Amino acid sequence: MTHKKYNYSVIALLTTLMLFLYLSCNRDLVDPKLATFPTTSEVFIDGFSAGLNYSAFGGSNVSAFDVDTEVKYKGPAAMRFDVPDSDDTRGAYAAGVFHAEGGRDLSSYSALTFWAKATESVSIDEIGFGFTFEETKYATAIYELSVSTGWNKYVIPIADPSKLNAERGLLYYIDTPEDGKGYSFWLDEVKFEKLGTIAHPKPAISDGQDQVVQAETGDKITIDGLSSIFNLPNGADQRVELGSGYFTFLSSSTSVAMVDELGVVSVIDSGTAVVTAKLGALDASGSLTITSVGKPIQPLEPAPIPTISPDSVISMFSNVYTDVKVDTWNPFWEFSTAEVADVKIDNDDVKRYKKLNFVGILTESEKIDATEMTHFHIDIWTPDPTDPPAAFKVLLVDFGADGNFGGGDDASHELSFTSPTLATEAWVSIDVPLSNFAGLTNRSNLAQLVLSGDLKNVFVDNVYFYISGGDTGLTAPEMAAPTPKQDAADVISVFSDTYTNLEGTNLNPDWGQATVVTEVSIEDNNTLLYTGLNYQGIELAMSQDVSEMEFLHLDFWTANSTALNAFLISNGPVETAYALTVPTSGWTSLDISLSAFSPVDLADLIQFKFDGNGNIYFDNIYFHKGGGITSEPIDAAPNPDRNAANVISIFSDAYTNVEGTDFNPDWGQSTIVTTEDVAGNNTLKYANFNYQGTQLGSTQDVSSMEFMHIDMWTADATVVQVTPISIATGESLFSLTPIAAGQWNSYDIPLSAFTDAGVSMNDLHQLKFDGQTGTNPSNIYLDNIYFYKEGSVATEPTEPAPLPTQDAANVISIFSDAYTNVEGTDFNPDWGQSTMVTTEDIAGNNTLKYANFNYQGTQLGSTQDVSSMEFMHIDFWTADATMVQVTPISITTGESLFTLMPITAGQWNSYDIPLSAFTDAGVSMNDVHQLKFDGQTGTNPSNIYLDNIYFYTEGGGMITMPTEAAPTPSLDSADVISIFSDAYSNLPGTNLNPDWGQATAVSEVTINENNTLLYSGLDYQGIQLENNLDVSGLTHIHIDYWSANSTALNVFLISTGPVETAKALTVPTSGWVSLDIPLTDFTQVNLADLIQLKFDGNGDIYIDNIYFRK
Amino acid sequence: MKWNYKLLNKTILLSALLFTIWGCSDDDEIIERNWQIVWQDEFEGSAGQSIDESKWTFDIGRGPNEDGWGNAELQYYTDQTTNASLDGSGNLAITAKNESFAGSSYTSARIKTQGVFEHAFGRFEARIKLPWGSGIWPAFWLLGSDIESVGWPQCGEIDIMEYRGQEPNIVHGSLHGPGYSGESPITKSFGFENNRFDVDYHLFAVEWDEDYINYFVDDILYQQIRPEDVPGEWVYDHPFFIILNVAVGGNYVGFPNSGTSFPQTMLVDYVKVYQAVD
Repeated sequence: MTHKKYNYSVIALLTTLMLFLYLSCNRDLVDPKLATFPTTSEVFIDGFSAGLNYSAFGGSNVSAFDVDTEVKYKGPAAMRFDVPDSDDTRGAYAAGVFHAEGGRDLSSYSALTFWAKATESVSIDEIGFGFTFEETKYATAIYELSVSTGWNKYVIPIADPSKLNAERGLLYYIDTPEDGKGYSFWLDEVKFEKLGTIAHPKPAISDGQDQVVQAETGDKITIDGLSSIFNLPNGADQRVELGSGYFTFLSSSTSVAMVDELGVVSVIDSGTAVVTAKLGALDASGSLTITSVGKPIQPLEPAPIPTISPDSVISMFSNVYTDVKVDTWNPFWEFSTAEVADVKIDNDDVKRYKKLNFVGILTESEKIDATEMTHFHIDIWTPDPTDPPAAFKVLLVDFGADGNFGGGDDASHELSFTSPTLATEAWVSIDVPLSNFAGLTNRSNLAQLVLSGDLKNVFVDNVYFYISGGDTGLTAPEMAAPTPKQDAADVISVFSDTYTNLEGTNLNPDWGQATVVTEVSIEDNNTLLYTGLNYQGIELAMSQDVSEMEFLHLDFWTANSTALNAFLISNGPVETAYALTVPTSGWTSLDISLSAFSPVDLADLIQFKFDGNGNIYFDNIYFHKGGGITSEPIDAAPNPDRNAANVISIFSDAYTNVEGTDFNPDWGQSTIVTTEDVAGNNTLKYANFNYQGTQLGSTQDVSSMEFMHIDMWTADATVVQVTPISIATGESLFSLTPIAAGQWNSYDIPLSAFTDAGVSMNDLHQLKFDGQTGTNPSNIYLDNIYFYKEGSVATEPTEPAPLPTQDAANVISIFSDAYTNVEGTDFNPDWGQSTMVTTEDIAGNNTLKYANFNYQGTQLGSTQDVSSMEFMHIDFWTADATMVQVTPISITTGESLFTLMPITAGQWNSYDIPLSAFTDAGVSMNDVHQLKFDGQTGTNPSNIYLDNIYFYTEGGGMITMPTEAAPTPSLDSADVISIFSDAYSNLPGTNLNPDWGQATAVSEVTINENNTLLYSGLDYQGIQLENNLDVSGLTHIHIDYWSANSTALNVFLISTGPVETAKALTVPTSGWVSLDIPLTDFTQVNLADLIQLKFDGNGDIYIDNIYFRK
Repeated sequence: MKWNYKLLNKTILLSALLFTIWGCSDDDEIIERNWQIVWQDEFEGSAGQSIDESKWTFDIGRGPNEDGWGNAELQYYTDQTTNASLDGSGNLAITAKNESFAGSSYTSARIKTQGVFEHAFGRFEARIKLPWGSGIWPAFWLLGSDIESVGWPQCGEIDIMEYRGQEPNIVHGSLHGPGYSGESPITKSFGFENNRFDVDYHLFAVEWDEDYINYFVDDILYQQIRPEDVPGEWVYDHPFFIILNVAVGGNYVGFPNSGTSFPQTMLVDYVKVYQAVD
């Protein structure tokens, strides 16, 4: 189950739908039996089954699931899932788990089944069962399950039911929008079933392939591609993705690789092992061959920690420094065999190269200007022999002023290193003056570092350029920390010259730390210095309630710390860490939201703590609220919700941006442009911003757009202007106002602001932002820079309604090109309506249009008996209607309006209305002579299009057969007079098939060795007793009956006369129905003088245990 | 031999009877019948061996009009042993394959007893394990021997078993004759609620006499067709021959699709024909 990664953090939804029944716990002390779990099959039939809970996936739209009482397949309700649009700020996908509290024993079932439909033809990404947030080994799912607009039944087979004897995951789904657009789908009648109609399982691992992987000792390799094909009841092969728990795995050589019960292979030694699997007794196709080289040789210690001040370094790779952007550590150049992996040696990040012949390390997109630098540094470690002439080579390539490879201005030089510089199984620091790269005549556009030589296995760390002997030792700040600006009334201060600090605070409690704590004065400002930090506490004199505060403010400065955390501690102790970014370049001022320290009790704060390493200066440690302006946004910019089709985006995570855009062209600005991750959202940061250009990847015609959108955040800027730049007509600055500091500002600038100033919108190639009119650089954050137009909805369909799929034999059609319609129907009888009815040709398909629609009748050409149908189907399209109702009209029993829900404007909506919606309201279906549609409850006429109005049934005309015999009667034979039963002596001489001219075919069939009477194609059928029978001393007649397809069935008793009375039996049945009918129900029949029994009705009926009893 | 089901003896009472007037006669008993075998093939032989040519002949190609045997079927029928041969375990295997052959995308086989064995009345049965998947259309059926002189449907057609691979739990028994052929035969279906016809063998049979044809699955009578049930002429009074085939696609079953796996094989344990011994 590895094809998608989701955040499994759980958001449990407690809705009123979920009744948690906490039973009292007065149990007996010991239950000697093995715990068993209920075998309940229902998941969701007419509502949640008992003990079922719902949890949404983290990051998904938690309101995606609801119970729908309008649209449903059967019964009062169905499950509805609203898959959000991809830009939905509440979560851009729908995913959740329905889990049973105590687990269920599903071992007697063979499949999860349900009915489903959707607002349009879609595929559900993943749907199945056996999945909870805690346990996925029995996960079973169909990926990309296609669901159409009509109700259909779906079957997900259980690969091995015997495994599911305590399963909590009864249903789960994951679904993302298609092409960015959301939709809804419904599930109903969700249950586990034992189906005998699933066959031919074909299990597979590794997607059925014989895969080979190279490995080394210690590697863990998870066998994936676990699935089985099943042939479903419809004859189609269906691949079902499976968790590993269903399989048993086998390694051909357990001394090389072991495989656990979850299919995780642990490589133990060198050699070859083949892992195969079985699903139950079936061999799975596919295998995984592990070819292990044995133990890898790698450094035991990290590379030496660099000591050069960050101010003097341009780092490509180091945990100590902030690295510049490296495009790739392996561009897979032709003929290169190199493989690179990120590994950790003692928590230090290291690049591990294998099969190295040569490899490029590229900084082509943001070239390195190393003009100021004097040295190049790289640490390497190799397990390979380094005896001469083995060499390790370093090539630096500068692309020159043109910024491109070639062009006559490139410069490069390669240095080759051999023993004794090189050593085997030891860190080697190669640290050379850039002047040694004699051919590298300029280094302001360094684009490639190429490593090559004879060492096949090389671990690489600390790749950087630096200024030797320069300002390497800046170990203390030259300036004081910035003076805080908060109003003292809003502050609780621990350490600051600006405020009154809490009294009695111990800045150096003895907690056994190694840290040396001093206070130093910088520019006459008291500053706290931690030297050689391992950890350090600050103890408040008494517990403080800071729950009224919003932020913890810290100023800190460090040149050499590579790890630093701040902790708040409440009584308990309860502590939470917050990681600080180090080393700093100058003072870092931080306002940390106090919510970041949850679950620390802010009302009962007792201590601070810092841990990490290096020398750190602190100042202005205080809590504050209100007026606090953070120096950087904490929250992401608002997520745009415009339809992507109406957007041309330059910079936004929500849209596809214009490709190839350069956000930092060199126009001489002071601005430093970076892309920051703000709460998971890419945000453009302009630091030291005076002005800044953007070079679009291609010239854009935005003349069809209406607005330019910009989100901006700033703590200090007061004037910010923007302009798109046209190739032909230049620019015109527009001021973003108002600017609210410390929060996201959203601007929607009408493009007329630019076009009115003569800037054309059909040839934009650049954007420009201007800050403070070029003076006093500020810092701003930008996001969601895009052009857009307001969407509009079509007023008439361009596509035909979906083609119906029902078999014509099961349909009574009123209006559809797909079927023969009831003849002579008048689609526009004059009932006083305002509606104008026309038939429109929509893409070759006849479609009914109701314009100016208030209500509209249809007079059928003839009265229709649709009582054998199950559903009324309607396809419906509108741009403006929000409420449409429909009813068939019975001659005798009138009408009952049904509301078509939901309505999605601008697309075809398909409805399958169970006829029970009408019959439950008392409208009979055997004499339908009219239809009526009602719009907007008669007010505000709208325009709608209708198609495929028909009644249908899903039933075919087949006999199905019970799988079990009728229940065996238990009454004492002395109390029974039996006509037909294996359990009793039957009356002799009874004729089970007297020829009364009936069409019914009668046979006796054996079901589980039990004789059963089968009436096939019943019209009527008699049973002739040999002698007149007196049952007046008895009270009931018992009948067991079973029918999958009968819709009418009566049983008659007949006495001499003949006098007969009917009793209606409920059909069709689900399983055997055992009925004891009081003989008094057969009024007028002389119970002392019975001569015959009779059945009439239709369908195929199995009957057993016909007897009279008392 | 005896059978474990009971057959109804039908006597047409000339007078119109009220249901409730009962004239009990001996004719109304459920009776048992005895059968004597007249023809059979148990398909014994070694694996890969072709069919017994003293009992069967092949139909080859796409039909006399090159139109998929009148049904737009997709397969080309061959006499290759890859399409029809014994399986060595006492079964005939008719295999539909997804392979290009003579302009068709599928091959399969259709064998018949025409000109070799033709018979009127009695019991025709075959024990068969069916293939599966959308677009797979196997059949066990009879055609009137006078087809070449009177044509179809005048010759009559008795479909003992037809099956759509997308409904592996349902088989169909049909009768095609003049006035009720093609899309409007007399037909009925038999289905399992919780079983399929492609996981084990099942016995398909008709019992045919001058005034009725009874259809059975595993000796369950599920359809009786009598002369008064057909809207045209009752033409089942002369010898018929037997056909076994697996078609792919066509009007009756629809196209195979991505969910259909190939090859697909129909295994026939035996075909037997009996006449009644009274």
